[in-house]
Amino acid sequence: MTSEKEKKVKEINGVTVTHTNTFMCSDPGQELIQRDIKSGKINRVVVASCAPSLHEITFRGAIKRARMNPFLYEHANIREQVSWVHHGEKATDKATALVAAAIAKARELEPLEPVRVEAHSHATVIGGGVAGMRAALDLSRRGIRVILVEKTPFLGGRTAQLTTLYPTGASAESVVRTLAEAADKDDRITVLTCTEVAGFEGYVGNFTLTLKVNPAPASADGIAAGTYVPLTGYRAHGALGEQPEITFQSGAVIMATGFRPYAPAHGEYGFAQHPEVMTLPEFLKETASTPSKGKALTVMGRMIRRMAFIHCVGSRQIPGIHESKADGSLNEYCSRTCCSAVLRTALEIRQRYPQTHVLDYYRDIRTYGRGQEVYYEKASENNVLFFRFEPDDPPVISSNAGGPHPLRIRVNDTLTFGEALSADVDLVVLAVGMEAQPIPSLVEIMKLPTGMDRFLQEVHPKLRPVEVANNGILLAGTCQAPMDIGEACTAAQASAAKAAALLGKGFVELDPYVAGVDPDRCSGQGRCKAVCPVEGAVKITDKGARINPALCTGCGICVSECPEEAIAIKGWTLKQYEKMVDAIVAA
Amino acid sequence: METQRTLEYDAMVVGGGIAGLQAALDLADQDFSVAVIEKDTTIGGKMIRLSKVFPTLDCASCITTPKMAAAAHHEKIAIFTDCDLTSLDRQADGGLAASITRRPRYVDPNKCIGCRQCEYACPVFVPDEEQGGFTLRKAVHIPFSNAIPQIATLDVENCSLCGKCAKVCPTDAIVYDQQAEDFAIVAKTAVVATGFNPTPADQKAAYGQGRLRNVITAMQMERLLAPHGPYMRLIRPSDGKEPESIAYVQCAGSRDQSLGVSYCSRVCCMYAIKQAMLISGALPLADITIYYMDIRAFGKGYEQFFQNAKAMGIEFVKGKIAKISQAADQNLELRYEAQEEDGRLVTREHDLVVLSVGMVPQWNPAGVCHLPTSDDHFIQCSMPQIQPTVTPMDGVFVAGVAAGPKDIVDTIAEAGAAAIEASNYLKRFTGYQAA
Repeated sequence: MTSEKEKKVKEINGVTVTHTNTFMCSDPGQELIQRDIKSGKINRVVVASCAPSLHEITFRGAIKRARMNPFLYEHANIREQVSWVHHGEKATDKATALVAAAIAKARELEPLEPVRVEAHSHATVIGGGVAGMRAALDLSRRGIRVILVEKTPFLGGRTAQLTTLYPTGASAESVVRTLAEAADKDDRITVLTCTEVAGFEGYVGNFTLTLKVNPAPASADGIAAGTYVPLTGYRAHGALGEQPEITFQSGAVIMATGFRPYAPAHGEYGFAQHPEVMTLPEFLKETASTPSKGKALTVMGRMIRRMAFIHCVGSRQIPGIHESKADGSLNEYCSRTCCSAVLRTALEIRQRYPQTHVLDYYRDIRTYGRGQEVYYEKASENNVLFFRFEPDDPPVISSNAGGPHPLRIRVNDTLTFGEALSADVDLVVLAVGMEAQPIPSLVEIMKLPTGMDRFLQEVHPKLRPVEVANNGILLAGTCQAPMDIGEACTAAQASAAKAAALLGKGFVELDPYVAGVDPDRCSGQGRCKAVCPVEGAVKITDKGARINPALCTGCGICVSECPEEAIAIKGWTLKQYEKMVDAIVAA
Repeated sequence: METQRTLEYDAMVVGGGIAGLQAALDLADQDFSVAVIEKDTTIGGKMIRLSKVFPTLDCASCITTPKMAAAAHHEKIAIFTDCDLTSLDRQADGGLAASITRRPRYVDPNKCIGCRQCEYACPVFVPDEEQGGFTLRKAVHIPFSNAIPQIATLDVENCSLCGKCAKVCPTDAIVYDQQAEDFAIVAKTAVVATGFNPTPADQKAAYGQGRLRNVITAMQMERLLAPHGPYMRLIRPSDGKEPESIAYVQCAGSRDQSLGVSYCSRVCCMYAIKQAMLISGALPLADITIYYMDIRAFGKGYEQFFQNAKAMGIEFVKGKIAKISQAADQNLELRYEAQEEDGRLVTREHDLVVLSVGMVPQWNPAGVCHLPTSDDHFIQCSMPQIQPTVTPMDGVFVAGVAAGPKDIVDTIAEAGAAAIEASNYLKRFTGYQAA
């Protein structure tokens, strides 16, 4: 606070103490407040700082520890609403007005108690890839029962479509099997394959989900439970029998719906124009059963003497340079995994098939993770040839009909000062990026927030990295952002830790900012119920309206509709608003 | 003979940086009791020393202080600062025993009220390492304004024993003859979150070995950019000039076999871009050039952050800086191969050079416990894919940079993962109830 502002605030009736502190949210700052509470000087707290979304909980905690009701506190946001958007004297005036309004409201605050609701010790994990299985296993180990829902007949997700994994060199089969067998035989985990979420309602601790079980597709015919099918996944034991639909209660939901590989556009780097152009997942599938040693690699019956990898296909797209899809979307992000995946594959080819030469076309090599830089070093040592291109000047693939190699690839290589280099190759492999697996119906029925990148959006990358704004719904793995397997498992475990803390106590506490009814005024007309957007939040009894505080979102629509002014949002009453407006007008 | 104190907890966390604090909070929120052992005078680790953090540009204090306060006030968490772990062994009952030495602060923590009277009275000035060495602090001082705990510490190396601090202390908290205390902590499980040090800037002869005054490290630049930094504005150290042309030297201590650090440190590209953006805000007319090998903006929202920086006019030059040397007017000359032009060796002059230093492990477990490290000297992980925080030492888990370089976002996720591993491990003790 500027001294000028502090002086003005001090003059407001009822203000007994003011403090100016650069870090009010720090421990010493919090202690200032606590000291004043304990000394009996104050019975309301107003903090003027950054947005309440950042630190409201911090200050409530401090006030509670000083044994005052934490809801006798009001927050004025003078960062986003003032200092970031205004300058000079007018900024000070606005800040003073907002603080005055907060003080006026604070005088009207009543002590409130959080809404306490029971929480089922049960979690639902949506998606049976590595992240989903990891989360399910960790929740089960904490004694929480889990339903693991998988849309396909197989567990293992995208990992099961791979062969050898970086950075360990482990087989995809061993990773998927370890997790899938453990989940399959775990008594507390119910694995439901060929199953989709059809209905979703309720609130944290008490969600109600309806699952629809689809008939197994022909691809699963004759595959015994407990079998791992290479490039496909692990067939789990079904648990539901013939039941087509089930409804159950669950305390928390973990989203593990994963990603899909980018599908190149027709003609992008010659894709779908030349059969010798394929994506990295297609290449892995195509070569999964080729002999692991030989003079040269053979793909689709043809000997590959020279091949090329192209990075950043469907990743790091730039508006104005790359063409967006029909829906206007562009993948501006880095997909994080492709560089190491390409270099691992390239190195393996060089080591196994000495007569297959490998060319690598990249923008930046991003082998950031532990044990990944070594792929880059070894690929160079093993004569993988690197070419670097600018995003607006990518390599061009053309047909080389009649030549010894079917394709020609040309690039202006920035590693050799922009020299135009062309090479004839037998195969071009595109390192396609990750896109969020589209889950439009889940986004709609669960009201999930998504980002500009179309991945699910966490509340804050550092403060609440695996939580979404909807209380009780958590994120695990690549539904949130591109990640590799280790990172997806880490995220899954972090979400399991949050779910365990949430469900471990048997109850959940919610903010008390919900509607309350004055029974003396309520005439039971039911207009509140008619306008309420949440099914079940208002009930009309012979004694008037009754609110279910666990379902009420505190939106306040009912308040504006009530003819008797019998309904109010606790902590945000009409009287409190009036006092705030008066203070702003007077300031 | 005095018997040694032994304290008992469900879990112990070694390291009170953001990884350790998050792991402790995630364990304590599941109702397990946790001891956090921190070697520094305050919790908060490297993060509390930063200015702003990418990619959200939140101020680091705004994100770190609430987590510090939440841990410090959690009824299930006990924090031990100034403590060295001298051994960590498995006991016969399957639990872990840690021997701890608490170094003297020469201040009674139960009496000190953090009023700073001692600091004001102290006549000895010492370069303040918390401000990049750019300003001075006193021999007795509170480490910094949002340190936890807010109690003074006396730097015995520099104290002149003049007695002024003891004289002004209103609570008689100064204890000149305070001794180190040895005690033991026993717990069922441990999370190691010992973090990193920046790669030393004085080892690379080609970059001046720390002798060029206007070559600073990125950690020093963090202080220059912090809202409560040493000068409250951005000036270069040698003469207080506002720099007009600033260079970032990427991979100054990473991906460099000559320093024995062949790995990528993961954060340097992003923090350099972040600092460049903050400098553009502070000094809109300054030219900022980032010399890089590969820009590794791989996290959520990071590539977009990089593209924004380019659009803001920050110059990115592909080239590894071969040599930094002194030029006229206290400026510096950078020599590199102009890859994007014709490959000539060129030199360019800048007012101020920032070395984007990497990460090396803070702690080597050798001699303390049987926790193996890998070739990169970070703690070995047994199952990096399906259980990334599990180490070869049963019941001991690892989180954050102790298990290899990573940024804050990835560190916080990993701390959660270590916490669920530790809490699941606690379940192994039959009939074990949360203490």
